[in-house]
Amino acid sequence: MSCEIARHLRETNDPALGDHLRSCPSCIVQDHARYYDAPAGLEQKIRASLRKEDRAPSNWRWLSIPAAVLVAFSVIFSWMLLNPRMNERHIMATNVLSAHIRSLQGNHLLDESSSDQHNVKPWFNGKLDFAPDVKEVSGFPLLGGRLDYFDGHSAAALVYGRRDHKINLFTWPVAESIPEFAETVSGYHLQSWYRNGMAFWAVSDLNTEELGQFVSAYRGY
Amino acid sequence: MDAAGKRARFEQTVLPHLNAAYNLARWLTRNSHDAEDVVQESYLRAFRAFDSFEGPDGRAWLLAVVRNTCFSMLRKNKNQPAVEFDETYTAADPSPDAEAVLISEAALGSLQDCLEALPLEFREVIVLRELEEMSYKEISDVARVPVGTVMSRLARARKRLQQCLAGVLK
Repeated sequence: MSCEIARHLRETNDPALGDHLRSCPSCIVQDHARYYDAPAGLEQKIRASLRKEDRAPSNWRWLSIPAAVLVAFSVIFSWMLLNPRMNERHIMATNVLSAHIRSLQGNHLLDESSSDQHNVKPWFNGKLDFAPDVKEVSGFPLLGGRLDYFDGHSAAALVYGRRDHKINLFTWPVAESIPEFAETVSGYHLQSWYRNGMAFWAVSDLNTEELGQFVSAYRGY
Repeated sequence: MDAAGKRARFEQTVLPHLNAAYNLARWLTRNSHDAEDVVQESYLRAFRAFDSFEGPDGRAWLLAVVRNTCFSMLRKNKNQPAVEFDETYTAADPSPDAEAVLISEAALGSLQDCLEALPLEFREVIVLRELEEMSYKEISDVARVPVGTVMSRLARARKRLQQCLAGVLK
């Protein structure tokens, strides 16, 4: 018996209906189980999310360019990080540059202000466990000295001038010789060398050539 | 196919089956909140996969997505026991006392409970067959089981339903 016939029997109150319903749960479900229609507003929500989804792929295309640049940079950066010697020197150069910039900010370029090496050198006495090599350098007047701290050591900072430019020459004792090294970071030039158990780092916004002259003059070449 | 054209075609072929999608989700999840979430999620999934849709039956294709979304949600929420019925089960269980079965309008309130008490895989075929009036072949596509399995699940689902109704009407 089909469900259509069963419906007819129900309408006519035919006693055969009971028998049929007993044997036909399908009819019961078809006639009486609830059909849930989607709630109002669901269609609008779906249309909105489809519109959003439609726009998403183009956003990803635009993002892919900066993403590629970012990946390239991180590859270079991690190569630098993984290259220990490059890493070590670069970190030190960054520290030296930070100290240089800090010394020019605010009012802390000089602890001892004197153009006379005979005043500057004794000033360091008792403040450091080493005697920095304070020299007059022709064409680069000595402006004074300052204390600083690098790489786990107190360091001497000698400050020289050239026109309006300042040169910080940092020096501190090291256990091992460091290679000569020149680098330009953020427009500042840095040079480092080693002599008699001491590390030297010269840093300035002065052009490379004049900084080179200063370094040569200081080293007595 | 450009993006706007794809969306227009999707809205034309798949969106009209929203009620069928919601009805299936509502019966499978047994609550309206989850059903609504499932339907929204299913439409997004269907839209992303729309390039693989070869037609012409947007309803069966959509319901397959709804069904899978429901099953993965229920599995994740674990408020539904895993398949707890035996696929090789045969009609060995005792028949309900025929005389005790008397369907009245009042008793039909129990129908809801009996349907909701069916195992998920049984409820699914009953809804697709009796409420969506799908063919065995269509159901087998949606549920991804052979036609023979659809038929045996339907038979066992109806039997369980009958027993359940008999039980509550005693």
